[in-house]
Amino acid sequence: MPSIGTWLAAFFTLCMLSFLYKDNPFFRIAESFFAGLSLGYYIGIVANQTLKPNLVLPLAHEFSTNWHLLFAGGLGVMLYFRYIKRVAWVSRWALAVYVGYYVGVNMMQKLHGEVLPQVGDTMLSLSWNGIATLWNLVMVVGVLSVLIYFYFSAEHKGAVGGISRVGIWFLMISFGAAFGYTVMGRISLLIGRMVFLVNEWARPLIGLIT
Amino acid sequence: MNLERIMQVDRRIIYLFVAAGTILPIIFVIGLPVSITPPTQMAFDRIENLKQGDVVIVSFDYGPSSAPENAPMADAFLRHCFSKRIRVIVIALYPLGGLSEAVNELNKVVAEFPDLKYGVDYVNLGYKDGAQAAMRKMNENIHEVFPTDVQGTPISRIPMMKNVKTYADVKLCVSLATGIIGEWWANLVNAQFGLPVIVGPTAVSAPKYYAYLEAKQMAGLLGGLKGASEYERLVVDKYPGLAKVYATPGLYTATKGMDVQSIVHLIMIAFIVLGNVVYFTGRRKPRKAA
Repeated sequence: MPSIGTWLAAFFTLCMLSFLYKDNPFFRIAESFFAGLSLGYYIGIVANQTLKPNLVLPLAHEFSTNWHLLFAGGLGVMLYFRYIKRVAWVSRWALAVYVGYYVGVNMMQKLHGEVLPQVGDTMLSLSWNGIATLWNLVMVVGVLSVLIYFYFSAEHKGAVGGISRVGIWFLMISFGAAFGYTVMGRISLLIGRMVFLVNEWARPLIGLIT
Repeated sequence: MNLERIMQVDRRIIYLFVAAGTILPIIFVIGLPVSITPPTQMAFDRIENLKQGDVVIVSFDYGPSSAPENAPMADAFLRHCFSKRIRVIVIALYPLGGLSEAVNELNKVVAEFPDLKYGVDYVNLGYKDGAQAAMRKMNENIHEVFPTDVQGTPISRIPMMKNVKTYADVKLCVSLATGIIGEWWANLVNAQFGLPVIVGPTAVSAPKYYAYLEAKQMAGLLGGLKGASEYERLVVDKYPGLAKVYATPGLYTATKGMDVQSIVHLIMIAFIVLGNVVYFTGRRKPRKAA
């Protein structure tokens, strides 16, 4: 016999799937449960797995070597000042530090981890070296034609128009590949739920396995 | 047969076909063949070339919402590492269920290898918030980012972590990812700190990872459920002892999932072809005068 947890999961799964027939109160109840549970889980996990071991315990056990963590904790507390109208401006200081940090991290990350390696990988040799050269040519033509498609300072007619139309073909092929993968991903999620319903709920229920 | 009626078929009829195409192959397993693609082979070879005792980070960067795709990848990677006696550090950087998935999958796979010892062969360091910041800091000191393991044991008391302080002490990172965290492993950790990275993303985000793979910013790629099924096959072919595990009745595997994928794809292709045939047949028919 399935456990209570399995029954609950099966009930909520069927509630969500019921939307495929039409919108209904069961779907809305399940949706609200999901949103509430997700938020509760998030608060709990951040408190237990990050705040406690990385802030509370180090301050409680070895304050003299970890006092600098007060700054990080203080910045976190400052964010909540936004709920007190009179001192709401304090939260902006903490936000400024967070934004500054992540802008700095992202700037280097994008430049060093995306722009430079990707540009470098597009600079391919076109001197004849068998079939590999043809693939290099496809890559170079694809990148250049798509870049020209997104170049809006010249009217897309004549040579520019022709090249940008080639760019559209490359874009369409890449969108097609991405869409195919997206379909596969969505079907995988359906498979996951159906496997749960069949193997963990329905089969024990009708005694096919046990 | 009235072709116009087919064009106006209720979408719920299509859902019924898809539901039947999903449920029947789950009950009656077909066992369609799995072909191996180069990105998955690269990932497998990379782990296969590691030595016994090497340390690998397995980062659970997904939650239950994408578990049908990512969990089989995680299981296959863990089984591969444990079969080769590679030591595994499990972490979770995805807030909504990453830790639950890490605990569940690790417990499931570890139960299949009873001679493994926690803290010596594997460790679960738990979840850490602010993934990018945690990734950066791990390059300086993993112990400061994860001062305790998931159960609250201080990291200094965990034997396998004594000599693992930074990325330099780790051979490889495997990220099972939904969303952007997998990309950060490639464009932050690999690009700036040089740690080889394998990513197992969901199928939805797989296309963009090919750019990183082409630019050699990743050492392998498992694209969605298909990639997971390929890895399962590679692992079973190399370690036949695992075949018994994968044949467990009722156990969900990517290989079984791909049976369903193939059937549902055929149903969708059939509907697309039918829709187009009806559409073009209707266009060719001369219209009656009003």
